[in-house]
Amino acid sequence: MILDLHTHSDASDDSRAPVETYLKWLARKRDVLPIDGIVLTEHRQWNPAQDYRRLEDHYGILILRGAEVETDYGHVLVYGVNADITRRFDFSDVRLAAQEVITAVTHMGGIALPCHPGRPTIGLCAHYATKPPIEGVVAVEALNGGSRRGENERVQHLIERYGYRAVGGSDSHLVSHIGICATEFDRDIHDVEELVQALHAGGYRPVDFRNGLRQGAR
Amino acid sequence: MTVSFDRSIIGREFDHTELEPITAEEILEFIAVTGETEPPPALADLVAPPTFVVRVRGQRFVPPNLAGVTSGLDAGKDIEFGVPIRPGDVLTSVSTVHDIYEKTGRSGIMSFVVLRTVVTNQRGEQVAVIDQRMMFR
Repeated sequence: MILDLHTHSDASDDSRAPVETYLKWLARKRDVLPIDGIVLTEHRQWNPAQDYRRLEDHYGILILRGAEVETDYGHVLVYGVNADITRRFDFSDVRLAAQEVITAVTHMGGIALPCHPGRPTIGLCAHYATKPPIEGVVAVEALNGGSRRGENERVQHLIERYGYRAVGGSDSHLVSHIGICATEFDRDIHDVEELVQALHAGGYRPVDFRNGLRQGAR
Repeated sequence: MTVSFDRSIIGREFDHTELEPITAEEILEFIAVTGETEPPPALADLVAPPTFVVRVRGQRFVPPNLAGVTSGLDAGKDIEFGVPIRPGDVLTSVSTVHDIYEKTGRSGIMSFVVLRTVVTNQRGEQVAVIDQRMMFR
């Protein structure tokens, strides 16, 4: 099963992509973008009110929700967001403590993964150069569709040195970017609880659909 | 250095302006500069192109609390279009501070202020809601 774990819809301040238009695009591009589902990870917010079941049924694409929060070690994707987590953390705070987020989210039933680690200022690599590593990191977003040249490559040493697992996501803010990078899971995933379990358990890898070619990164 | 703003100003109105009546000449001039090659319709059928509304300017562009900040960057605008503008319309613009937030990017922390201008006509119909995003650092 292939999920794009990092997407932004027009609910984020810097995206103009409606969720349904993402799904229309994926439905049209299914031959080159075999994406089974997307995870909406809007910036600095959690709004579970929107009901996407009709769209899921119509397009046959799973829609899950997470969030992208901002910490003292860069940006972090949070999956399995629940009331305990939103009570503990103000997602609009751009100065969250990464160690607290990683540890507490796990204790509260979710998982938090540093994203685009190779980016300056907002990626893990830059912070590991001057600060101690974060404990409890399970995986990092080794393949990010919005990263610039060299930024994804920089992540490889983190994976080798710290034994992190790797995921991929498009980080799409535009309709035509959805699904260009994603994560292939060995198991089927039907809801966010199963996603969290799978991310903790392993058995996944980033996949790259840019340039019309599928490239896995094991 | 990061610029920070007092979030208590969110929702505060900082400008309320009734503009001069819109003239046909203004609309025709705007149509011309957009590169439209079709001849304009008869005056009775003339309406302004939707983006004409960005010409609307109140008396104050930013709230007085932000007036000392000089390093702002236009970070784009969202416009929700309402009823069309026609010659003779008298527009009123009301501007408020709609949102203030921070985000981090490759270059560090940025502060954003969203200024919302609601434009109505003489019948009280909504012509547009313009959210102007300004970035400061």
